[in-house]
Amino acid sequence: MSKDSQMRAAINQKLIEMGERERLKELLRAKLVECGWKDQLKAHCKDVIREKGLEHVTVEDLVTEVTPKGRALVPDSVKKELLTRIRAFLAQHATL
Amino acid sequence: MSPAGCSHVNGYKVDNWKQNLRVIYQCFVWSGTAETRRRKVRQSDAGWTELAKSCVCHMCGAHLNRLHSCLYCVFFGCFTKKHIHEHAKNKRHNLAIDLLYGGIYCFVCQDYIYDKDMEQIAKEEQRKAWKLQGIGEKYTTWEPTKRELELLRHNPKRRKITTNCTIGLRGLINLGNTCFMNCIVQALTHTPLLRDFFLSDRHKCEMQSNSCLVCEMSQLFQEFYSGHRSPHIPFRLLHLVWTHARHLAGYEQQDAHEFLIAALDVLHRHCKGDTIRDDNGKKANNPNHCNCIIDQIFTGGLQSDVTCQVCHGVSTTIDPFWDISLDLPGSSTPFWPLSPGGDGSTVNGESHLSGSTTLTDCLRRFTRPEHLGSSAKIKCGGCHSYQESTKQLTMKKLPIVACFHLKRFEHSAKLRRKITTYVSFPLELDMTPFMASSKESRMNGQYQQTVDVINNDNKYSLFAVVNHQGTLESGHYTSFIRQHKDQWFKCDDAIITKASIKDVLDSEGYLLFYHKQFLEYE
Repeated sequence: MSKDSQMRAAINQKLIEMGERERLKELLRAKLVECGWKDQLKAHCKDVIREKGLEHVTVEDLVTEVTPKGRALVPDSVKKELLTRIRAFLAQHATL
Repeated sequence: MSPAGCSHVNGYKVDNWKQNLRVIYQCFVWSGTAETRRRKVRQSDAGWTELAKSCVCHMCGAHLNRLHSCLYCVFFGCFTKKHIHEHAKNKRHNLAIDLLYGGIYCFVCQDYIYDKDMEQIAKEEQRKAWKLQGIGEKYTTWEPTKRELELLRHNPKRRKITTNCTIGLRGLINLGNTCFMNCIVQALTHTPLLRDFFLSDRHKCEMQSNSCLVCEMSQLFQEFYSGHRSPHIPFRLLHLVWTHARHLAGYEQQDAHEFLIAALDVLHRHCKGDTIRDDNGKKANNPNHCNCIIDQIFTGGLQSDVTCQVCHGVSTTIDPFWDISLDLPGSSTPFWPLSPGGDGSTVNGESHLSGSTTLTDCLRRFTRPEHLGSSAKIKCGGCHSYQESTKQLTMKKLPIVACFHLKRFEHSAKLRRKITTYVSFPLELDMTPFMASSKESRMNGQYQQTVDVINNDNKYSLFAVVNHQGTLESGHYTSFIRQHKDQWFKCDDAIITKASIKDVLDSEGYLLFYHKQFLEYE
């Protein structure tokens, strides 16, 4: 594993251990609902299902179609906030 | 995607599968406590390691890429990189669980499947984890029961609520100076939680006679949401009000605020099914003893702190309230300065002597520390003697619907008059500065709100305004109500017209109804 992914894995472990990962997930969920991201993507999913037909569509289809749009639509403010939170957490618990 | 699951799970549903599945959810999907996270789990056949370290792909070590766990053995693999697919093919293990969302994937069906039993386990474990994490209950979409499905099939007529629909709007005929009642009815029928309570048929009547006001309210909601556009004639409601609140009977004009309190009181008394009685068998008019819908929505707690000026001991009482009555400038009691000794000329950089009074000003005055004066000494428990003291009111608990009553009608010994001072009120109101907890933080020197708390709990939105035009002797009540966000209507007895936000905010304002913006499950 590259140094980069080693670092990522180590951070992830720390986040899980301290329960921070769950808290961050909740924060992200709340933010994405607030800014309307969830509704936008829900509408997009419905369009994809309508297109492919309810009987034939698979979760894989939805993931393929929706993931790029989902990633692009996350507002910068939300990304910034999560990043700040993670940085603050690491500053507090840095033994890495 | 079949909601009935797939037949391939039958190979898995043997022996102690339920418990095994629960453990997987508890450990890897919804880890609730620090303990489960630190728990040692089997990392392949090589041995045990801590959970946090074990949740990586056994082929490439990555922890992202939609990690899945095999249900038949200890194996974690990426979904995106197809590592779990390889494992499934090689070992003929057909089922895997998505560690992010808990969905079960069947490699034969090549899709996520929804097995009833497994879904049940997943939901239960998720709820448990939320509870352990202190999140409590979360919103889940409504699913109809068998009986409800039956009813829906037998009653196919549906009413669609669109963003511009006028359902719930209906005029009310004036039965002789009954505009005071009509405007309160408009406000109540547009209180979202109250509307939901009545439209979902939640009142179980225990009254023998036909004089239950709650049943009548239920009928009223049916009338308002029936889709009829002709004005409704609320003669039964009027009669019940006269029966239960004698002081409001008669054909003279009454005070809308008095009517509101009387109506809430009668409704509260008639909600017998939900009320807990105290030891004497009497219904306590106390938020701690009643859980009826009226108390759930309208009852708040007002904290009164009396501080002895000598020993600084504080005596605290908390009283329930349904509304906050605010004094206005122009009444016989002086409004400015807001606190004793203060100059009152600038607060937050705003100059109030030239500008108009705001609702916040009134609230600030309401919650200011007040010297009780040498003629009103209170017996202090600490000093054991009568001492001068200051009294301060703050909000201990805010109701879901906060009603502000601007005291425009002065009935002092010398004069009876209406105070027409314009008070500006906002569409959105943050009650945080007036809370008892804020006062405590300020006193302890904490000026910053903790970053962690997304303090949305004290934010309110305006949804109804009752106005009075005219004089004390003869006047007329009308109301503005919010139908949808940013869509307001003026209700003048039988006449309903579209109104602009400016119309609403420019109006004089007598009763202001605010609704909490964010509601939490308890």
